[in-house]
Amino acid sequence: MATTTENVQAKPSLGSRISNEMFIVLLMIAVLVILFVIAAIFVPGFMKGQTIVNIFTSNWYIIIIGIGVTFLLITKNFDLSVGGVIAMTGVLSVYFSQAANVSRNPLANGLGLPYPVAIGLALICAMGIGLVNAFFVVRLRVPSIIITLGTMMLARGIGRIVTQGAQRNTSLPDEFGLIGNMTLPNTTIKIYVVIMVLLVIIAFVWERKTVGGRRTYFIGANSSAARLSGVGVARHLTLLFIMSSFLAGFTGILMASEYKAGISSRAMGYEFDALVVSLLGGVSIMGGFGSVLGMFVGALILAVVQSAATGLLLSPEWNFILKAIAVFIAIMAQGYFLRRRVG
Amino acid sequence: MSDTIPSKQELAYQQDRSDIIRANIKRFYIYFVLALVVVVFSVVRLDEVSWFERGHFLNPNNIINLLRIAVPIITVSGAFTFLMIAEYIDLSIGSTMSLASVIFAWMILNGFSFPVAAVVTIFAGLIMGTINGLLVMKLNITPVIATLITLSLYQGIALLIVPDGTSAIKSIGEQTMPAWINNYAREDVLFGLPMAFFVGIAIVIVLIVLQRRTVIGKYSAAIGGNKTAAELSGINPVYWVSILYIIVGISAAMAGMARASYMSLGDPLSSQGMELWVIIAVLLGGTKFTGGEGQVEKTIIGAIIIIVVTVGMLTVIPAYWQTFALGAVLLIAVVINYQLVGES
Repeated sequence: MATTTENVQAKPSLGSRISNEMFIVLLMIAVLVILFVIAAIFVPGFMKGQTIVNIFTSNWYIIIIGIGVTFLLITKNFDLSVGGVIAMTGVLSVYFSQAANVSRNPLANGLGLPYPVAIGLALICAMGIGLVNAFFVVRLRVPSIIITLGTMMLARGIGRIVTQGAQRNTSLPDEFGLIGNMTLPNTTIKIYVVIMVLLVIIAFVWERKTVGGRRTYFIGANSSAARLSGVGVARHLTLLFIMSSFLAGFTGILMASEYKAGISSRAMGYEFDALVVSLLGGVSIMGGFGSVLGMFVGALILAVVQSAATGLLLSPEWNFILKAIAVFIAIMAQGYFLRRRVG
Repeated sequence: MSDTIPSKQELAYQQDRSDIIRANIKRFYIYFVLALVVVVFSVVRLDEVSWFERGHFLNPNNIINLLRIAVPIITVSGAFTFLMIAEYIDLSIGSTMSLASVIFAWMILNGFSFPVAAVVTIFAGLIMGTINGLLVMKLNITPVIATLITLSLYQGIALLIVPDGTSAIKSIGEQTMPAWINNYAREDVLFGLPMAFFVGIAIVIVLIVLQRRTVIGKYSAAIGGNKTAAELSGINPVYWVSILYIIVGISAAMAGMARASYMSLGDPLSSQGMELWVIIAVLLGGTKFTGGEGQVEKTIIGAIIIIVVTVGMLTVIPAYWQTFALGAVLLIAVVINYQLVGES
């Protein structure tokens, strides 16, 4: 961060009043618009109101977990455990709130806790996974990629154990399905989309306007310098890991509530999608660079590409290849434009 | 004066002793762990499991079975050790294996002979490794991101090759997979072990020789220890690390070939998560996770330990515990690794 602003000041030229981060965000918005226009021209039936609504709402879960992943990426850390945490928390929230001793089928019996308590406990378990991540990364200095791969398996494994490899969906209280299926009055927009938008706004204000947010960038740009100037790097990273797991757990609860089921194979590969949208939005793994707003735009780009692929009747397998190509192009293009801009 | 000198010597002696003990623990613990695991599972009765002959663990048939299951991980984890010593990582090996096994099965199904199919598969692995090397070393994309990109890419291509409506390559219309595809990974060549096993061992031996006797072993350790210093002393990291990626790609392709032959079909999803198994093997084998230190042979022992543990565990606990156990084993491996090599 420090170096980029210096560079901008050293060469005051066209558009230097906006930061490099906002430049990338604007670039990606331009890409989004261009892609949308191309899709509208070439894909039959793309230009509909419903498509636009879908683009904004379909990736809500990726955007929520993307917030945590983006902040960790800014501090040069990966969090691959989010998909596992979604599965685990969803399953646990079901297990905790299922009525106790109602059936001879072990998968129909839970702990019979009231729903708010069940949610609270499930979220605490999710944050526990974040704590494990933080312990290994901060205390033992293990590369985050290795540890979060392990906790990904650990969390999903807990989900598998609790559901015995399948799912739990019976004897749930009525209020379980409430939060995931609530809609805004007179529309079909689900309440979790509103939550997603609110979280993005909060995260954006946090990263721009608060000390904690700016410290995240400082740590990512130069963690030793941050530590020497009195920033509690260990504490900050720990909180970020816990927050990332918390957001994943929250998503898991919403998804479990939407389907009224705890499915252990839920959210496979979401950790990769969260990384994809962050990278599409210009977050740099070199540290200290990126924005939640960019991640949001990245998610919209992914949604446009995916719905265009569906419109062109490509088989779902193409999604893997499209994501790979999109990320590759995004990384190369952002690097190119940043170098040109900085000079 | 006369007091302090002996006490200094004493101290130095004690320091030496604890260093020697530490070094010895570091050198031999992996063999100890293997012995321990084998003893534990020998005591536990394994009667209920159909994979094993009735009787105890140390039955020759059981060992042969275990080694046959371990072929893919043995084949691929040696090369991966090199990469981790150089402080690089390849998360795409699972997808490389999947794509290789799909290509291999497709060629066999379409009437190509074994050597042709094998050569094409290995060539495909070479290309996949080269792409990884190019992305990481030439285009300077962070290894994790670059190999996640190729993970998704290879996985997608593998899924595209498999015809719609089927989950794996096993037949075209009336024509089914020839039975001899099994020969490579199942047919008894020597001591009941198949060809694929000996190919895997040959790869491991070549890698051990490469590590001990040639510059590539020294260079990868130098790059992993301090990349800038290595570069300044005339080592070209772009060249050497690209070679390491290519070696990993080729061995992953051969592992995929062995898996396709073992299962007699080309399954585009069966190798998902292989990177995790291999990372556990490498860490158990004491390769430093910040690079610069590690041995191929210990990784192989680590790989065998994981296979023994996961297969042995299926006898005691239900299969759906496996994911959890794998994650837990990874964390334990990290802790052991940290205790032994992380601090020094």
